[in-house]
Amino acid sequence: MAGIQTASGEYIDSSWELKVHVEDLGEDADPITLRVTGEQHIGGVMLQLVEKIGIAKDWSDHGLWWKQKRQWLLRTNWALDKYGILADALLYFMPQHKPVILSLPNQRSIRIRVCFSSTTFGACAEVCKILGIRHPEELSFLKAPEEREKKKKKDKDSVTQEIFDLTSIQPTVAREGQTQFGGVPPHFIGSPEGQECYRALSVCQIGLTPEDIQKRYKATSVTDKTAVHARWLDSSKSLMQQGVQEGDRLWLQFKYYTFHDLDPKMDVVRINLLFEQARWAVLLEETECTEEEMMMFAALQYHVNKLSATSDPMLLPQDPALQDLDEALSHLEVKLEASTPSEALEGIELEPELQEYLKVFRPRKMTLKGYKQNWVMLKGTNVSCYKNKEEARGEPLILLALKGCEVIPEVNIASQKFCIKLLVPSPEGMNEVYLRCENEQQYARWMAGCRLAAKGRNMGDSSYDGEVQNILSFLTLQKSNAQTSTSAAESINMLALVSPRYQKKLKLKQLSPRILEAYQNIAQITLMEAKLRLIQDWQSLPDFGLSYFLVRFKGARRDEILGIASNRLIRIDLNVGDVVKTWMYSNMKQWNVNWDIRQVSIEFTENINVAFTCVSASCKVVHEYIGGYIFMSTRARDGGTKGLNEDLFHKLTGGHEAL
Amino acid sequence: MEQTCEEIDEMFSNLLGEMDLLTQSLGIENDPPMNAFNTDKEMNFSFGFKDLNESLNALEENDFDALIADLVANCEDDEPKVSSQSSSHTPLFPNADTLNNYYPNCDYLAAGSMDDLSSLPPPPPQSAWEMDLPPPPPDPEEPKPQEEEESKAKADKIKLALGKMKEAKVKKLIVKVHMTDSSTKTLMVDERQTVREILDNLFEKTHCDSTVEWCLYEENPELQIERFFEDHENIVEILSDWTRDSENKIYFVKKSEKYAVFKNPQNFYMARKGSADMKDMNEKNKVSLLEQSFCGASVVVPDLEGAFYLKEDGKKSWKKRYFLLRASGIYYVPKGKTKTSRDLACFIQFDNVNVYYGMQYKVKYKAPTDHCFVLKHPQIQKESQYIKYLCCDDPWVLHQWVTGIRIAKYGKTLYDNYKTALHKAGLASHWSPLGNVSAPGTTGKAQGNGQVPQNVTNVSSSFSDAWKLGEAAKGTQLNEISKSHVIKQPTPTLAKKPPPAPIRSSSAAPVPPLPTKAKADGNFPPPPPPQYFPPQDSQVDEDFLPPPPSDFFDIPPDFLPPPPPDSMSGYAPPPPDSMYGYAPPPPQIAAPTIGSTAAPPPPPPPPPPPSASTPPQLPVKKLPPNPPRRKDSTTSRSRELSANGNAGGQPDFMSDLMKALQKKRENTS
Repeated sequence: MAGIQTASGEYIDSSWELKVHVEDLGEDADPITLRVTGEQHIGGVMLQLVEKIGIAKDWSDHGLWWKQKRQWLLRTNWALDKYGILADALLYFMPQHKPVILSLPNQRSIRIRVCFSSTTFGACAEVCKILGIRHPEELSFLKAPEEREKKKKKDKDSVTQEIFDLTSIQPTVAREGQTQFGGVPPHFIGSPEGQECYRALSVCQIGLTPEDIQKRYKATSVTDKTAVHARWLDSSKSLMQQGVQEGDRLWLQFKYYTFHDLDPKMDVVRINLLFEQARWAVLLEETECTEEEMMMFAALQYHVNKLSATSDPMLLPQDPALQDLDEALSHLEVKLEASTPSEALEGIELEPELQEYLKVFRPRKMTLKGYKQNWVMLKGTNVSCYKNKEEARGEPLILLALKGCEVIPEVNIASQKFCIKLLVPSPEGMNEVYLRCENEQQYARWMAGCRLAAKGRNMGDSSYDGEVQNILSFLTLQKSNAQTSTSAAESINMLALVSPRYQKKLKLKQLSPRILEAYQNIAQITLMEAKLRLIQDWQSLPDFGLSYFLVRFKGARRDEILGIASNRLIRIDLNVGDVVKTWMYSNMKQWNVNWDIRQVSIEFTENINVAFTCVSASCKVVHEYIGGYIFMSTRARDGGTKGLNEDLFHKLTGGHEAL
Repeated sequence: MEQTCEEIDEMFSNLLGEMDLLTQSLGIENDPPMNAFNTDKEMNFSFGFKDLNESLNALEENDFDALIADLVANCEDDEPKVSSQSSSHTPLFPNADTLNNYYPNCDYLAAGSMDDLSSLPPPPPQSAWEMDLPPPPPDPEEPKPQEEEESKAKADKIKLALGKMKEAKVKKLIVKVHMTDSSTKTLMVDERQTVREILDNLFEKTHCDSTVEWCLYEENPELQIERFFEDHENIVEILSDWTRDSENKIYFVKKSEKYAVFKNPQNFYMARKGSADMKDMNEKNKVSLLEQSFCGASVVVPDLEGAFYLKEDGKKSWKKRYFLLRASGIYYVPKGKTKTSRDLACFIQFDNVNVYYGMQYKVKYKAPTDHCFVLKHPQIQKESQYIKYLCCDDPWVLHQWVTGIRIAKYGKTLYDNYKTALHKAGLASHWSPLGNVSAPGTTGKAQGNGQVPQNVTNVSSSFSDAWKLGEAAKGTQLNEISKSHVIKQPTPTLAKKPPPAPIRSSSAAPVPPLPTKAKADGNFPPPPPPQYFPPQDSQVDEDFLPPPPSDFFDIPPDFLPPPPPDSMSGYAPPPPDSMYGYAPPPPQIAAPTIGSTAAPPPPPPPPPPPSASTPPQLPVKKLPPNPPRRKDSTTSRSRELSANGNAGGQPDFMSDLMKALQKKRENTS
């Protein structure tokens, strides 16, 4: 022990006084003074410290933070000398894990303990483990945008956002990897709060209003899109090192746009968050899309919202065995259906059919528009029209085989117009026929029948009733939307499914039918499929997965945009907006960063060299992105069996700190 | 019922008559019966011919043999699949009256009975027609002493019978395929066959090099458009979109465009991006580019854009517009707008259209160049405002776009097709020398354990080698995967080769299992009655097998199998008859045939009857199965006379069968 004194009180063992501030004692408390020698190791110092504090509690998570050097003293076997700590060092003794508020891609906030001492990468991995997100390497933390802070405060007054507290939850690491209960991490199951949190994580956000979107939306140019990347935390440094304070707000987002091995069973939370990030990227036009694509996204969101409102993620996964059984049973059912003798002898049973008087219209050149009352029969996949009921046995006026045709709704609820437009292909071209129904009920029946027929199925199909219901519910939705927007609070606001640009461009009554049209193709898919589908469609947008940086290429006179994607770098001309050049990683030999002049230089095959400095963000971020994507591409090869290779990640992304 | 039965009989006789005409190479005279058979759901008609007569007359004898062999082979090949096929095939025809010539039900016959005879020595076609009675109907099943076996067998039979009945509804077409040497081949295709299977079939017939470039190529002379069928497409579906009098033709040709994107993906994916490394990319990078593009969660569509000429709807002029390709469709930049995503206007989406090359449009439509492509609904066969015509400046751009559209439309399927094609190419080149020699049993097994693909080093195309190497790293999974795609296909080929063998195997148990049989077994439940098949067989089966139709067991035991056989039995001499009682007919087809006919010896497997075994079966893959038809027709006739038909339209089959069989039983007892 240090502190051997002579009788006169002089220290003879070259020991000195070390002052340590203990966070737990409060900010104003005086530092605790310890007598130490240079050879004493950190562990010993902490032990001495704890004894001196004299409070009995669990200090195991605490560590020493050296304020001037912005450094954690985590190696307990290192001597003070080795760290170079002298008497003037300002040391803080504090917990390594502190709660922060984390904004998730689904616009929810959670309070959660995050490690302030390990690298951001490690801290993120830890958080993901708690949240039940596999492949944490794809995500990272961003600092919350500052200018928004002011606005947010206003918002918070009006919308007191619920913050889910996950600080008390300890991940059960013991049974690592083996998440049972159908993918729900076991620590969520214990308490009702836990279950509530899990719901918040795994169910998409319902009840968005157009205003929610407008609030976050602002027209963005490519240059604007570069701003966000300045906010990424440095993966190879700890949160403490980057000035994050306890209780700060951070964002957790998917950073690398390669989503490895999405598994509907294992990745409930991950897929949901990804879905949310994708949907917001589309709604805020961060990833641009065309009008048609927007309608498809809207339809998928509509479907997801609708299904989410009725499903509880805690119920499904809790009975995986039952679920499997159900699946097995339905499979069996299908099989039976397919191979029972009655199937073989089909034709015995009567095919269901629809026949009613409908107004029929065939547009032709040089004729005035006019609907005629006809006796219309839908049987099998054919529609036949007769002059009247009595002639239904004779030759039909019109006979249409609907298989493969397009069925387009033309509905205007305000004017009580319920039309079905049929575009039936024939060798000569398309036959256009309109069927006009009297009311919703009739319309829903015929619409459902026609849609099934277009797919080559008849109304005996098991999906028929569901289809009718779908159509009806969609109609009522439009109705309520049309009448009052307030009463639609519970139902889904169509405008909240598209970006503000289209909220302005299309009126609700124009928008709804278009979404409905897109919806009819996907109405049968499951919740999870719909989420995955939206993610996929997002991925197939041309701009998907590009992270933009404002850079100055070596020798160039003006700033340009560098886009970094999972497999390539692109150079974009700022004025024209065109891609000037593409470089594939597969042709990359090496890249270097000159940290002093903040220049990234990349060498490709065939002696192509590129060098640039980064204007809009630190070049560490660019470096991390490139290294990160290369890291991601190695995952496929090891088949994911090895688990997360953190060392390799840091080697690829760390820069000089890693060396 | 009687009525329908008569109809069927009538069909049979019609068919017979028609065949006779044909073989005597007489003129056309009789129209094939056109209208009588509406009760039947399936219809057969031929493509590439103006009408049925022509089509049949066009067949030379060889062709005809081949066709018939095909029929048999088809029936056999398809068997394993039958049980998995639940679909009801209602042919879609806009107007029932424009209907096609029925090819009088011959598939039905084929399904029901040809198989039985497939193992018979192929009599020279003509004589066959003249022959009066086919050798006594195959009724291989010997009365088994053991009760259980009997019932088991019965159950199996029933199952098989049901399968057959389903198959009887399967739509089949006769297709004329034009070869590069301007000869033609005539094929029978059924609605379950994909283009891939047809190609495999043609590989076998033509002994070509089987490379991936081979494709079926559709030409529509009226619109002057062409396209290749994708390997996964269903050919019957495609053909049903043609009009009855269609001039369209199908060619069997090599087109490097078909899979060019997989050989040099950089030409498509990086052409526009000003990338320096586009010309020569090493194989490794190609593979990784392909993986990135096709193996992710969503397929990456090549980033293509450019100015094209568009033929305005219904107008003669061509107007220049700037188009962009996206996964969701083709877009253009409206006047005065930029090409940012939100400003783009949708030109067309791909759900309902196919892409075609437009040929000689400079002349036909006064197009600016001859490099045109066309988008239209497959059912549209004539000029129409619904067809979109686009014209590009140079052929390479055209090629890029057509390929890009295919990628957008078909996605990963295209890549899977390619992998299968590669695999096939490798397989074919490996097997071609062995071709006819290899014993069916062994080949079947080789298939089974997945060795084949790996051994194949002499793949024809160099890239395929590279690809394999690249893929090798990924382990065998891939092979297995591609194999699984393939599985069905190899078998059919094999199936055709060993006609005589099956007989023996059935009659004399020791003989190694035959693939044919295996297929036939398909319909049997997992535990196939050992008596009929050597154990290995059953294993093989399982590979091919769709879900074992255990449901069949529901059928009451005394319930009996389908008519065709019973008609035979009715006609047939006593011995088979007696057997009949025990073992219902049609299913047997699959395995035991001749043995029974020749020798009714009871339980012990009948030694292959001399007649059957001795005649050196033509080594030819296909056996001219003429007899079956004949037999059927005759039998049916006879039935008409004697046993008042119970057979009805399909719906009534079951009851018919029951009755018929009960009768048989009574007779025997």
